[in-house]
Amino acid sequence: MEQLAFTQFLNHYFGGVVLQVLTRLGIHPKHPAAPIPNAAAMEVLVVLLLTAFFIAVRSRLSVDNPGALQHVMEGIEGFASGLGKEIIGHHYERYIPYLVTLGLFILTCNLIGLIPGQESPTGVPVVPLGCALVTWFYYHVQGLRENGLAYLKHFIGPVWWLAPLMFPIEVFSHLARILSLTIRLFANMFAGEMVYLVFFSLIPLGIPIIFQGLHVGVAFIQTYIFVLLAAVYLGEATAHEH
Amino acid sequence: MRKFVMFTLCLLVISMFAMPAFAQGGEAPHAATNWVAITSGFAMALAVALAALGQSRVASAACEGLARNPAARPGIQLALILGLAFIESLVLFTLVIIFVKVVA
Repeated sequence: MEQLAFTQFLNHYFGGVVLQVLTRLGIHPKHPAAPIPNAAAMEVLVVLLLTAFFIAVRSRLSVDNPGALQHVMEGIEGFASGLGKEIIGHHYERYIPYLVTLGLFILTCNLIGLIPGQESPTGVPVVPLGCALVTWFYYHVQGLRENGLAYLKHFIGPVWWLAPLMFPIEVFSHLARILSLTIRLFANMFAGEMVYLVFFSLIPLGIPIIFQGLHVGVAFIQTYIFVLLAAVYLGEATAHEH
Repeated sequence: MRKFVMFTLCLLVISMFAMPAFAQGGEAPHAATNWVAITSGFAMALAVALAALGQSRVASAACEGLARNPAARPGIQLALILGLAFIESLVLFTLVIIFVKVVA
């Protein structure tokens, strides 16, 4: 297995501990000498970068003299608030932190692959699956918290005698959301890198840069779509029936 | 003109059927055709072509809507992006299935 620099660093210092924990849990990694895969190491790197960014923004927060970082963060917050107001409705403020964190995490994961020597963690199916699962559980929990047991009415449809038919369909469609969220993000990042590789093998000079530019666009659009769908699902789950 | 196009298309179809026969006659019989590569190419082409048609309809409808009522931009843009994403993900499902089949 080819290891990136940061993966090597993590495996050198934490590989033993991770291996012990995994063995206790009954999981046997494919490469016992290097139990931390590239994607996990890149995720850790992204989390560290984002935490540093958030701390930097938080420590310089001021009303009178907002700095550049604060402007950037306010722009992101304004964008997410507009999205939430439009899709979720009047009680959107509660969900903005989750949506912004999710969006920034996915965006950084997508873009970090453009730096030479790094790899996009979202190009591995496990990472989008994690994001999709967290989103799925989050909107179900929020729906239950907001509507109580009446949330289960979403699953039986509007007509009571159609319930035996609607219930399996609804459960299936909710489960399919995990699949579609995962594969949309993973396949887009994977396909972007593949196109780049194919053109690199054809013409190894100049031309592949165009596809890197395309990849940047795809990274932003896919982040937007993931957050948008998370907001749509949240809005649907937390809507009050009047 | 139309007759000529039909003739060319017929010729193409006939040559498509004829080629395996020639290939089998000329080459050694144990060289099996790589059907996975051929079918995955056609599957991807079909999926991309039809999805492109669908996406073009979505885009043209969004343009018409925007031209008639520019004030409705946020709603139209939202529906546009959502529709394009859902259509696009079907192509990506095909891509992933092909990769699973080719790699495994």
